[in-house]
Amino acid sequence: MTEFLELRGISKFYGNIVALQNVTTTVNPGEVTCVLGDNGAGKSTFIKILAGVHQHDDGEFLLEGDAVKFESPREALDKGIATVYQDLAMVPLMSIWRNFFLGAEPTTGVWPFRWVDKAKAMKIAVEEMGKMGIDVRDPEQPVGTLSGGERQSVAIARAAYFGAKVLILDEPTSALGVKQSGVVLRYIVEARNRGLAVIFITHNPAHAYPVGDRFLILNRGQSLGNFAKEEVTQQELTQLMAGGAELEELQEELSAAISGVDK
Amino acid sequence: MSDTTTTTSAAQSADVSEELEELEDLAATQEGGGDDAAGTPPEDGAADERLNFRGPIQRLLTRPEIGALAGAAAVWTLFWLVGGNFGTAGATANFLDVSSTLGIMSVAVALLMIGGEFDLSSGSMTGATAIFVLLVTTQVGELGGAGLGYHLAIPLSLMFALGIGWFNGAMVERTSLPSFIVTLATFFILIGAKLGFAKRLTDKVIVARDEDADPEGWEFWSNIFAGQWRAQDNVWAQRDTVWAILMIVGGALLILGTIYMTFNRTKKMNPAGPVVFAVGIAGSIAGFLLLLTTDGVTNNIIWGVLTAAGALVAAIGFGLANFDRAVPVSGAMPAQVPKMFFGGLISLSAGVVLGLIIMSDNEESIGLLGGGFARTVFFVGLVVVGLAALAVAAGKAPPSAPLIGVAILAVPTFTFLTTVQGARAILFAGLVLIGTALMLAAASQLRSASSSLAMMLGLATVGVLTVVAFIIRSQGTGRQIRVELFTSILIGAFLIGLGAIMTFLFQKRTGPDIAADRLGGIVNSFGFVALAVATLIRLLFIIPEQAGTNVGSIPLRISVLWFAVVVIGATFVLEKTKFGSWIYAVGGNTNAARSVGVPAARTKTSLFMIVSSAAWLVGMLTAFRFESVQANVGDGLEFNYIIAAVVGGCLLTGGYGSTIGAAIGAIIFAMIRSGIGFAGWDSNWQFLILGALLLGAVIVNNSIRQRALNS
Repeated sequence: MTEFLELRGISKFYGNIVALQNVTTTVNPGEVTCVLGDNGAGKSTFIKILAGVHQHDDGEFLLEGDAVKFESPREALDKGIATVYQDLAMVPLMSIWRNFFLGAEPTTGVWPFRWVDKAKAMKIAVEEMGKMGIDVRDPEQPVGTLSGGERQSVAIARAAYFGAKVLILDEPTSALGVKQSGVVLRYIVEARNRGLAVIFITHNPAHAYPVGDRFLILNRGQSLGNFAKEEVTQQELTQLMAGGAELEELQEELSAAISGVDK
Repeated sequence: MSDTTTTTSAAQSADVSEELEELEDLAATQEGGGDDAAGTPPEDGAADERLNFRGPIQRLLTRPEIGALAGAAAVWTLFWLVGGNFGTAGATANFLDVSSTLGIMSVAVALLMIGGEFDLSSGSMTGATAIFVLLVTTQVGELGGAGLGYHLAIPLSLMFALGIGWFNGAMVERTSLPSFIVTLATFFILIGAKLGFAKRLTDKVIVARDEDADPEGWEFWSNIFAGQWRAQDNVWAQRDTVWAILMIVGGALLILGTIYMTFNRTKKMNPAGPVVFAVGIAGSIAGFLLLLTTDGVTNNIIWGVLTAAGALVAAIGFGLANFDRAVPVSGAMPAQVPKMFFGGLISLSAGVVLGLIIMSDNEESIGLLGGGFARTVFFVGLVVVGLAALAVAAGKAPPSAPLIGVAILAVPTFTFLTTVQGARAILFAGLVLIGTALMLAAASQLRSASSSLAMMLGLATVGVLTVVAFIIRSQGTGRQIRVELFTSILIGAFLIGLGAIMTFLFQKRTGPDIAADRLGGIVNSFGFVALAVATLIRLLFIIPEQAGTNVGSIPLRISVLWFAVVVIGATFVLEKTKFGSWIYAVGGNTNAARSVGVPAARTKTSLFMIVSSAAWLVGMLTAFRFESVQANVGDGLEFNYIIAAVVGGCLLTGGYGSTIGAAIGAIIFAMIRSGIGFAGWDSNWQFLILGALLLGAVIVNNSIRQRALNS
């Protein structure tokens, strides 16, 4: 069977720096693939290749079985790969519906008098947000009044509405509190249930494990493994991510330091 | 790497251990609670408790132009109360004319500011285009003879302006330098070019049209850019009748639309509703007709009350037909409510008493209290500011302490500035407004505790305001102001009472109802148009009684028409089109806009070109009106455009603002300039007032934006 989106041995070099080497994973509709890694692990390079910002230097990028290489973010978007960046998602002082349709406003009327079909746009925005489980009472409300998690969800709903098949979420929970992170995780599940292929980038295994179907672990540009959920436990994920042995060492060091303080 | 970590290891280990604990906690809850985070769909309410519904009035209060509108009303009222002929048609035509060129520019500058950029070259560009046209029509050609025809010169000058706008935009985009710097450079380039070319070609710094050797087309373009009608006969006997009908219709539509947008629409209509509505309307119309046709105080009061009661009954009928009944709330009164209520009552009474004490028809325009006392107060104020600043510097006083001194300084400044009439009007209006606001705030505090008490408090406010209105009326020495104040206070009281009763009877909406918002919005815009037309009629026509003294020849200039066209066009673009959304987006968060495919560079460059074509229009208006232009005309006006836009609600940081607001800002600017003349004040004071206004506007705008983000 062909996978919907498959990466085989993807590598990326910046000059003689190896940013990403030999990374392999798959993403399918209705599944969440989590990309885990500490800072500097190559997560952002990985996203940028998928989103069309950078191009891979080696390996194969297969979309529905065809090898592709995106030249621009626009091209990736046209192929249905939408990226939600954590801090670039919204214009805070603009209303929810204007943000939702920004860049793709539905218009009506005859040129040169074409205007935005506000009633339609508001209706769709409310409906689509409803599908994400958010009851928007006033689509004219500025997005700045929403919490961080809700802003992410507007971006997710927008990407889904505009025909995204693959949704890339760049660290959507990293700036959020525990409760808000839970809210975003729910939206991720919601998007998955609607048949989207979700790529969830995070450095927090506790966020990744409950929602993920597949886990790709990166460390210093290398893949440390590509597991289906049943092949791995959360404990192992945490261990792998932090570099296994290093974490144990750190724990020992810490307990020594703490007992030292106690004495 | 290891040597850097050792230095901060203590801090880091604390962080890491915390994080590990948190992870374990999370893992534990997941094992215990199953797939809690993943499995259950989000419940309503829990996820979106912050998505509150905002009613139409709250939404109106978060519009950027609302502050400017209130400011315009306040400035107009101030000069109307203080100064001679400010309310007449001539004065209106005067300040509209002054505002037109400023307004055309400030509207374009507002668009650019919403897009997050500035254009310091906009002022000198107005002069540059004017000089361009005059130079090429007089100097280009055989040895200083007649130049290019106007039909060629005018499109050429537009190309020239668009080119400069494009240059500004392209430079800002390519270099990523702040537009402040780039357009400052353009500003100097234009000044230099204007002076240089004027000197070189004409040996003078004034470029004038050469009537003897005029190329073709002056007449044609002069009609377009400098046409005017001198109205000798805009005396209109029926003005007040038409005005009153439009005001009433407009006001009724506004109330109806707002009510429709405020309350929850019912599923099943109460059949009594339409009947009650019809009875109310009939009563109201009958009352109003009788009010118009009868004379005498007693009759007026009886029929006036019938009109108001009829309108109230009609509103209730409308409510019964359309909305759900409210569920009454009752509970304990919050502690601060009595304080607010009595504070409001005291403020209102103080306003009335003060108004009565210094009520005289004294219209002296110099100093209320005379020099000696004011000087003493001024000196004391300075000393207090100084001492307070010292105390703040020494850490002994809160940072706001010098404000006391500023308040003391304000007294003599204020008394120097204003007349007795003006001081009385300001004190009276201020205290009455504060008192009413306090009482209404008390009522809204009560609303969540007890709906019936809240209604009673609202009605008590109506009662107090009615008494205030009648006290003012009883002081009738015949000045027009008392009658108008009486009427407007009564209308205000009626609206407050209507609001109190409707909120008591019907359920406020808590959810979206796009259909109701749409219909309500349409009804409201008809109401606004009726009120705006009424205001214009009131301002631009005079009735025969006034005509004897005031009527003169009133020039209505075509520039005002251009101003209106620009405002309507810019507002349509900003609020209704794709491009308008993009303007807000590039100003609010350029990166976000880019990431969803908005052509940010093209949007910003277009905005610079819009500003330069507005400058071209103003240049043409100047050139054809004055027929000669100094090389420095327009230089330095760019800050006035920015001030007008800011007074109109534009944020200096971009992403928020309004074109209508900017137009109102320009009108305020012009009203102050011409109002000071009409009031007979020293015109040097205008900058003081403008400064205070700008500061006030920025503070108000900031709070409006905060409210927009927090409601």
